[in-house]
Amino acid sequence: MQTTLQALKNQFTVQWEKQQRADLHQVGLPREQTLAALTWLKEHTPFVQLTHMSVVDWIEEDQFQITYLLMNPRSYDLLMVCTRIARSGATMESVHKLWPQAVTYEQEMNEMFGVEFPGSPRQGESFILEGWEDIPPMRRDFDTVQFVLDHIPDRPGRLSINTREFIGRKVGEKRLLHD
Amino acid sequence: MTEQVTEKDVQLWVGPQHPGVTGNMSVQIWLRGDTIQMGRTHVGYLHRGFEKLMERRKFIQSFPIVCRICVPEPDTNEYLLAAGVEEIAGIVIPEKARWLRTLALEMARLAATLQALGGQVGMMGLGTVPNWTYTLRDYILDRFEELTGARIYHMYIVYGGVRRDLPEGFAARMEEDLRAIEERLPFIDNLIFDNAVFRKRAIGVGKIDPAWIDEMGITGPTARACGVPRDVRRNSPYLVYPELDFDVITAEGCDIFARAQVRRGDITQSIRIIRQILARMPKDGPYCARMPNMLHWTVEKGQTYVRAEASRGEMGYFVVTDGSDKLRRVHVRGPSYVHAVSLLERMLPGTNISDLGATMVSMQTCPPEIER
Repeated sequence: MQTTLQALKNQFTVQWEKQQRADLHQVGLPREQTLAALTWLKEHTPFVQLTHMSVVDWIEEDQFQITYLLMNPRSYDLLMVCTRIARSGATMESVHKLWPQAVTYEQEMNEMFGVEFPGSPRQGESFILEGWEDIPPMRRDFDTVQFVLDHIPDRPGRLSINTREFIGRKVGEKRLLHD
Repeated sequence: MTEQVTEKDVQLWVGPQHPGVTGNMSVQIWLRGDTIQMGRTHVGYLHRGFEKLMERRKFIQSFPIVCRICVPEPDTNEYLLAAGVEEIAGIVIPEKARWLRTLALEMARLAATLQALGGQVGMMGLGTVPNWTYTLRDYILDRFEELTGARIYHMYIVYGGVRRDLPEGFAARMEEDLRAIEERLPFIDNLIFDNAVFRKRAIGVGKIDPAWIDEMGITGPTARACGVPRDVRRNSPYLVYPELDFDVITAEGCDIFARAQVRRGDITQSIRIIRQILARMPKDGPYCARMPNMLHWTVEKGQTYVRAEASRGEMGYFVVTDGSDKLRRVHVRGPSYVHAVSLLERMLPGTNISDLGATMVSMQTCPPEIER
């Protein structure tokens, strides 16, 4: 792992790094270098397997974090590569030519967060949602409660319990509400 | 449409209620004669937005959500959520909780593997085996009910440890169940592996090229049936697995038959592990760390990826916290995400339509973990 990390730092601009566990290291890379770094990692290091891809919406900073988790199938070590992209017009290079299963991840990230992966084969095809017209639902500014209120009519006669009040009565309002 | 599909091919939707599908999932296939030219997996029938729901709830309120991500084996999800948050928060669980968590995980693996093995042959029309294996699974569910109060969604593993200790006499009753399973296993072996129908429909069918394993991220029994000993319990040990004696079962055929052999071997190993846990577990000591008030608990900013070996392969949770009292992001990486989408679509061209269900079931697909 240390050899790979050092070589990665020699070749690319590693913005930050962290050892989360003995078998999990995290690094941050600039967006422009991410595809080149992933290609280099796959071709020149033992981190050949893409285990996972994900998006985190940091809406306060107007950025998405794209995360690639690579695994060394011999030592089972993990390397988490993180990069940040602008939230508006979010676009990222596709890695489906490196790892074929990335097509599914990129299709889902496109649908759920609105991140575009130009050239990825199933961009724009629905993965889970059909006929979705609202903003991508996994974005932080998508309000699930409002969506339910707008689209799902209340059933007459249904009893709704305010959980906060209910638990408050059980454990005591002061203890619950002191925050 | 890709190159191998022409306008003369017949399009057919299999699912979402097809008996060969282990849950609500569809496979769209293009057929020429009875040979599949191309397949496309479609999910979405079970989507309830679990990951989004967790972003709006306090940490403790996520347990009733994650256990629903895989009905036959909820405990892996509970463990991974707890382990991820505990790692970021710096919580160390007591020794006894490590043993009790391993027990719950292994019981779940045993129950899920019995169900999967029965389902594999049941979908080929051999109904006797699932009758047996589902009954045996029910014995394990009885023990889960005794241990956790629930048969399916246990919510037993919580932050800091587990919810309760073993009930009085639990080990003896579990031993009775394990013996009942062991007594039935020779009959199951006979009816599966010496069965001409199963052998004809499983040997050489649903083949996986071992080169795809690293390329696509194939894990668990699907990889082990290609002779690759990939098992998180051994390769990246967690809880008390490093202290336990067990074998990582492999087979060589890369086909449906080899995957069934691996599952059958896994049943024996799970029984072996459960016996060791019950014999060696500390009798006393706390089973849960002292935790802050869960209604006000905040966790510092951080991110991690934790993994465990589910009965279907590596299950992972990408957990992100932001210093608040809620999860910032959770992304579930279930083995079916790769196995039932990318891998299945790659396996299907050239497959006979009658082998589609058997191929899909041989990977123990769990659609909820694809769509979460």
